Amino acid sequence: MERQYIIVHADKSVLKISGLAIKGLNTAQIESILGSRLKTSVRIIGVTGDALEMDVYNIDPEQIRRDEAGLIEAVSLAEGITLTDLTRMVCSEKIIDVDFDSIPDQPLSACAKERWTKWQ
Amino acid sequence: MAMNRIFIAPTGDEILNGIVRDIDSPEIISQSLAAFPQAEITRIKPIPDIEHAILATIEVLKEQQPDLIIFIGGSGGGHRFSKSLSADYTHSALEKALDEYSSYEIYGKNGHMWCKLVIGKLVIGQLDIGQKKDTILLNVPGPYVEAKAAYGAFLKSMTSGLNLKEINRAMAEAVLTLYPDQTEQPV
Repeated sequence: MERQYIIVHADKSVLKISGLAIKGLNTAQIESILGSRLKTSVRIIGVTGDALEMDVYNIDPEQIRRDEAGLIEAVSLAEGITLTDLTRMVCSEKIIDVDFDSIPDQPLSACAKERWTKWQ
Repeated sequence: MAMNRIFIAPTGDEILNGIVRDIDSPEIISQSLAAFPQAEITRIKPIPDIEHAILATIEVLKEQQPDLIIFIGGSGGGHRFSKSLSADYTHSALEKALDEYSSYEIYGKNGHMWCKLVIGKLVIGQLDIGQKKDTILLNVPGPYVEAKAAYGAFLKSMTSGLNLKEINRAMAEAVLTLYPDQTEQPV
């Protein structure tokens, strides 16, 4: 069995919007809409019936939070999303670097961050 | 290597229940038909994010003696770190099922596994003619742009005659190019 891996030093923030009604979402469309709004790459990483979680690259979380109303309005343009009275941005956080040398190697089945968090 | 019988297996509760529209399968069908116009391609019912459900699907599909099975989604660290993310079991299920495989993991600088691509061979017996055949199994990430890039790289590298490890690397590199303004640190 061959195992290869790489560490990507991309800067990203994780953004979550809750209080949505979602059905039949076209993720490529909403990534395009939000990417145009934020002028950067956006990747949808988690969707439930009422929330969207996404990675936003090369932009400060504070800048995202300042445009909360505009972003929510943009989200409403996507097929499959309906805003509700409860729609809001619940988090916008930049990822934190970890020292890879301090991450235990085992078990391989776990995410490295999980191993690192347990080790801490 | 001709691919005459191809199965596409989307994974994820959000695909199964229609919260997210499956736009990856049509893309993979389109690319497959361009490469293998003679192929019979089946997109099966989406599989829930449960490891044993994925393994059971592989067992069922083996009976169809496929040439290629593509699993979509479930490629990240997902639930192992964040409870709000979906459960990602596709890569671990493939590793359990495959006789021979290569894997490529992409980690962010935060230590989180962003993506794990697995490709391998499953030996399937053809009892009626007393022969065995290899079925290729692989996974692609769920995000549309990543699925499109990874599968495109698979087709290009496979038809170029590369081995599993080289194909695996080519798929990962295709995904890596989609991360903006980054430097990579091979480990």
